Amino acid sequence: MIEVDKISKTFRVKGKEIRALDKISFQLGKGEICGLVGHNGAGKTTLIKILSTLIVPDAGEARVENHDVVKEANFVRKLLGVMTVSERAFYYRLTGMENLMFFASIRGLSLSEARSRAKELLEMVGLLEWKDIPYMKYSTGMARKLALARALITDPPVILMDEPTLGMDPISSREFRRLVESLGRNRTVLMTSHNMVEVEDLADRVVILNRGKLIASGSPRELKERVGTMKLVRTKMPDSRLRKYIVGLSDQYFILRVPENMNVEGDEVSREPATLEDVFVSLTDEVDSTTNRSRGGGGWRRWAS
Amino acid sequence: MGVLSKLYAYIYLRGFRIWSSYKTQMVLNVLSWILPVFTYYFVGTSLGGELESFGISSYTAFVVIGLAFQGYVSSTITTISQRLRNEQLYGTIEYYVLSEGGVLSFLIYSALWGFTINSVNAGVILGIGELLHVDFHVNVLSTLIVFALLLSSALGLSMISAGFTMLVKQGNPISFFFSTFTTLMSGTVFPVTVLPSWIKDISLAIPLTWALEGLRFTMLEGYGIGGVLGIVEVLLLFNAVLLPLGGWFYLYSFNRSRRKGTLSEY
Repeated sequence: MIEVDKISKTFRVKGKEIRALDKISFQLGKGEICGLVGHNGAGKTTLIKILSTLIVPDAGEARVENHDVVKEANFVRKLLGVMTVSERAFYYRLTGMENLMFFASIRGLSLSEARSRAKELLEMVGLLEWKDIPYMKYSTGMARKLALARALITDPPVILMDEPTLGMDPISSREFRRLVESLGRNRTVLMTSHNMVEVEDLADRVVILNRGKLIASGSPRELKERVGTMKLVRTKMPDSRLRKYIVGLSDQYFILRVPENMNVEGDEVSREPATLEDVFVSLTDEVDSTTNRSRGGGGWRRWAS
Repeated sequence: MGVLSKLYAYIYLRGFRIWSSYKTQMVLNVLSWILPVFTYYFVGTSLGGELESFGISSYTAFVVIGLAFQGYVSSTITTISQRLRNEQLYGTIEYYVLSEGGVLSFLIYSALWGFTINSVNAGVILGIGELLHVDFHVNVLSTLIVFALLLSSALGLSMISAGFTMLVKQGNPISFFFSTFTTLMSGTVFPVTVLPSWIKDISLAIPLTWALEGLRFTMLEGYGIGGVLGIVEVLLLFNAVLLPLGGWFYLYSFNRSRRKGTLSEY
């Protein structure tokens, strides 16, 4: 179980304050898989790191299985399986088996427990036949599976994953999702992702962050119902507020995918039910991924002209 | 809890397995232990009896003890701060924070690998000393006491050095000082009595200076604990200051990084 109550965090970079999280609150129960989504820089990783006890929040409280992540950090660590975004976070010269045994040992497992648990997990993630191959020879998909195995090494009740399928091909990604799905049945899983198909497929609950604020939370179905039906509209020159809805170009026309109740000049092409990606696009600001600031209009105009 | 598995993980897997997987580096490491002994042996041979006026009856014996134990301090300190930096670069530092025993356990077990590799280094150097007819008269108990105090003071300095690595990432002054100045200032290859008095005063603020003097007494002259009591007291004083200060600074640097969100930055 995870409880996040008015968590805030501000970073100071070269004298400038960056509000990474602003009074975020939500709860997750056992058996729930939650997708944490948002633009780059929306605060997802900061929140994962706060729950992992790796960053201390400025205000608010967060609890894992009823234990405070700041006051009881050492105890909380025992309850967590963490998968960070870094692919390099293993020892390249050691084999998959050795890497898992290493991390099992430092998490407190005895030598025999570490060996049997590492073997069991390698089999579970489908890497048993690669167990004696050095990590440096692993593909991205294999590396991510090994990272998942490491997160499960102590059989924790709570798993936190930061972009777990980043860089994976669609088949490996699908395989990975099935693994996470089976794990989530008796655990609490919180994962960040930019892949809306993945979140829609896996998550019982979605939390959307925008510039450090929680702007929506609910099941994928609830969120999709909130946006309703989408319409595809062919238009000549969308204004800047519509730029985020552009999905394509056709014969000098822009194709927009907008909520049906939105007034847009142009020819309606078709209507479709909203996807989670539509929810995300509709609810969040358009943010420049390199600066995390709203873009001014004009980029598409310049490009179109 | 799980001490054996941690020793296996830190010393065998992360230490020996990775170190020995770089064969060329391994050979160069061993050469770097051996060659200085011969270099200084020939320096001593060419000087003949000139060193007796400085109270050194056998320069080879003097330098063998110096080189064998100097590495414990300098390389343990640099090994730990380098290790910490490597873990930041690999992205594994966060997994150590999450580990049982946390970052203190990381430091102690990492230091153990440093001590292990230096023990091999010291063993090789002392073995070469034996081949070069160094006349050892070892008092085991007093040697172990002085040696243990040297190791624990090195651990205290390592914690301060690692704390600097967490805070400044690169440009660690403690690591720089001990990797470059200890040979010059701590009586490793020549007695500190030849140094200008103000440098000599600084050298007395380094635990290694005292430990080397003590180890020469206990390993070459067979002094018992009574003979090196003054040195033991000074080393105890160093430990009383360095261990709590190092522990506090090391944990402070990690907690500060957690507050600032810079734990994995490098």
